[in-house]
Amino acid sequence: MLGNYLFVLPFMVFFLTFTVFPVLYAIYMSFHDWAILAKEHPFVGLQNYAFLLRDDFWWLTLRNTLYFAFLTAFLNTVFALIVAIAVHQPIRFRDFYRFIFYAPVVLSVAVMGVVAAWMFNTQFGIVNYYLTWLGLPAVKWLANPNIVIPTLSLATVWWGFGFPMLIYIAGLQGIPGHLYEAARIDGASGLRLTWSITIPLMMPSIFFVAVTQLIAHFKVFGQPYIMTGGGPGRASFTVIMYLYQTAWRFFRMGYGTTIAIGLALVILFFTLVQFRIFGRRSTIEY
Amino acid sequence: MRRVYAIMAFALVLTLVFAACAPAPTQPAVEGEAEVAVPEAAAPEAEPTAIVAQAGTGALELIYWNGLTGSDGATMVEMVEAFTAENPEVSVRVEMMPWNIYFDKLLTSLVSGNPPDLFLLHEFEIPQFASQGVLRETGDFFQEMGGPIPETDIVDYSLEALSYEGNRYGVPLDIHGWGLWYNKDLFEAAGLDPNVCPATGEEYIEMARQLTLDANGNNAASADFDPENVVQWGTAVSWFKVTFLSTIYQFGGDWTDRQGTATLDSEAAAQAAGWWRDLIYEHHVAPQPAGFDSWQSFAGGSLAMITEGSWMLNFNDDAGLNWGVCPYPQIGDQPAVWTSSHVIYTPTSLEGEKLEAAKKLISYISDQGLVWATSGQPSARVSIQEATTMEELPSAKILGQSFQEFGRYDVAHECIQEVILAYEPELDAIYNDVKTLEQGLEDANSRVQDILDRCQ
Repeated sequence: MLGNYLFVLPFMVFFLTFTVFPVLYAIYMSFHDWAILAKEHPFVGLQNYAFLLRDDFWWLTLRNTLYFAFLTAFLNTVFALIVAIAVHQPIRFRDFYRFIFYAPVVLSVAVMGVVAAWMFNTQFGIVNYYLTWLGLPAVKWLANPNIVIPTLSLATVWWGFGFPMLIYIAGLQGIPGHLYEAARIDGASGLRLTWSITIPLMMPSIFFVAVTQLIAHFKVFGQPYIMTGGGPGRASFTVIMYLYQTAWRFFRMGYGTTIAIGLALVILFFTLVQFRIFGRRSTIEY
Repeated sequence: MRRVYAIMAFALVLTLVFAACAPAPTQPAVEGEAEVAVPEAAAPEAEPTAIVAQAGTGALELIYWNGLTGSDGATMVEMVEAFTAENPEVSVRVEMMPWNIYFDKLLTSLVSGNPPDLFLLHEFEIPQFASQGVLRETGDFFQEMGGPIPETDIVDYSLEALSYEGNRYGVPLDIHGWGLWYNKDLFEAAGLDPNVCPATGEEYIEMARQLTLDANGNNAASADFDPENVVQWGTAVSWFKVTFLSTIYQFGGDWTDRQGTATLDSEAAAQAAGWWRDLIYEHHVAPQPAGFDSWQSFAGGSLAMITEGSWMLNFNDDAGLNWGVCPYPQIGDQPAVWTSSHVIYTPTSLEGEKLEAAKKLISYISDQGLVWATSGQPSARVSIQEATTMEELPSAKILGQSFQEFGRYDVAHECIQEVILAYEPELDAIYNDVKTLEQGLEDANSRVQDILDRCQ
C-alpha cells in the first residue's frame, strides 16, 4: 500500500504545489481587497462577487468569449473531423498531408498571432490581396466589429485544427475494418459508410474533442491580445484579457481572481451540459 | 471516394502553399475602393537591440530594467557603456523588454522583494507605484540635498511632477511628447511649400485636403474627388489617448476636473473627439483607424502627415523618408500638447555603495541629454535643451521647444492605467464608427466616473 503512495508522490507534490494550492489561494484572495503591492489586504467578504455580477465589462467580455469559444470549438470539431477522415484514406502522400495540416500547431500563439494579424491586415494582408486579385472587395477582417470574432476564430482553426485531427485519426484507426467490409457487401456507399459507421463509432473522440476545445477556447487570450488588442472598440475584448488587465495593469489581484473563479464556474457549467448531451453516447462497445 | 479525399487534401495543401509562396502584396483597396496601384509600403528593417546588454566588468554590479526595445534602447546602452568606461569599478546589466512584459516583470520583482536596482517608468505612474511604497524617495539625488543633479536645471513642470504627498520620486530623463511629422516629397508633389506646415486646425484640414488623393489623382478639395477610392491619405488619427488629450487641452478641457469628477461629457471633449472624427467621416482626409497601419503607411509614402511622438525620429530615418516636423498644431482656443517623461527610479531596498553607484549613473545619464536626444527625445534639462541645435537635432529642437512652451502632463492618478483603459476603447469605438460621438463620450465618462468613485 505504501509503495503505491510512493509511486504517486512525485506527481502529488507538484499537483498540490502548483495546482491545488494556487486554486485555493485564489479563492482566498477573491474575498480580499488584494492590491498586489500593498502590505495589507483587507477582508471584503463577497464584495468582489457582488461587483462581478453588476460589472458590465464582465458581461461584455463573457459574451465575446462565449461567442468565440462556441464558434471555434464547433468549427475545429467539424473541420478537423472532415480532414481526419480525408487523410485516413489510403491516398498518395497521406503522411505528407498529415504533416502539413499538423504543422501550424507547433507555432506559439505569439508567432501565430503576428502571422495571422498580417494575413488579415486590411491594407497589406495576403487574404485581401487574393480577394482583390479575384475582383472581390477587400474585407476589414479585424476592423469590423461584426466579423472580428469570426476572423479570430478562423485564424485559430487554421492554427489549431491539427491537434483534434490527430485525435480523430487515432479514433479512426480503432474502428474495426470488418464493419466497413460487411456494409460494403450490403451495398453501402462511401457517404453511407461515413454517416452510419464512422460518425457513430467516433462519438467518444468527438465528445472528447468538443469538451476540450470548448474549455481551451474559453481561455482565449493570445489571439485577440496580439491581433486586435480587444478592438475595434471592445468587440473582441475577452474575459482573460479583462482578468489580465485587472490583475496586472490595475493591481487589483482580489478582483482579478474573482473574475477567474467566475470564468471557471462558467466553464464547469458548460462542461456539465456537454456531458449531459454527449455522455450517453461516449462509450462504444464493438 | 478515395479520389475525392485526395483532391480535398491536395486542394487544402495548395491553399497553404499559395498563401506561403505568394508575392508580397501591394495594398489592396479597402472595402468599396477600386483596385489601384499604390506604392508598396517598405517596412524598414528594425534595428536589432540586445535584450540584455552587459556594460563594464566592475565588481559592483547594477541591474537596470527598462522598456526601451527600439533604437532608443541602443542609445541608452551606449550611454551606460560610456559611464562604465569612466567608472570601471561599476558594471551594469541593462535589460530591455517590451513595456507590457516589463510591467509584469517589474511587479512580480517588487512583490517578491527582488527588484532591479534601477528602472524606468513615466511621471504619471508615480502615484500608482509610490502609493504602494515601492519607490525610493529621491530628494537626496538633487543638489538641494547634497546630491549630484542640479534641480534648477530641470524644466519646472517636470520637476513638479515628481512630487507625491510631499516627497520627490525619480529623476526625469527627457520630456517627450506629441508633434506633427510630414513627408516633404508629398508636400512638394501637392504643390505645398515643404518648409511650411499647418499651425492651426483650419490650415491642417486645408492641407490634408490637398494631400488626400483618389485613384484618379483628384485631391479632397476637388469637386470630382472620390472618397471611396483613396490612394493617399492627408493624415490619420493615431494613438487615440494622446491625440485626444492634446486636443482637449486646447479646448480648455481634460478627462477630469481633478476634484474627483470625470469630464468626458463636456463640450471640450465633444469638440476634441469630434474634430478628429470629422477628419474621417466629413472631410474624408483620414482613414478609419482600425486595420490602418499609420506608421507603415507613412513609411510607404501613402500617408502625408501624422501626429506622432518625438520618438518617431529614428523610424523615419530608417525608412529613408524626406521628413519634416512641426509642433502639434493649434486646433482649439489655446496652444497645448500632451507630454510625458521617462523617469529613472530606484527601489526602497537600494542602499549602501549600490545606491551611491546608482546615483552616479543616473546623474551621468541625465547629463548626457544631448546623446539621448539623438533618439528623438528632448532632454528634461534646460541647459541641454538650449544646447540642442537645429542643425544637429532638428526634431528634438523643434518639439523640445514646443514641449517647454505649452507642453502638459497627463493627470497623475493612482488609478491612471485603469482610467486610460476605460476611455481609450470608447474613442476607438467613436473613430471606427462603432458608436456615435455622444454615446462614446457618455460611456467613457460613466466608466471613468465609476473608477474615480472607487479609487480616490
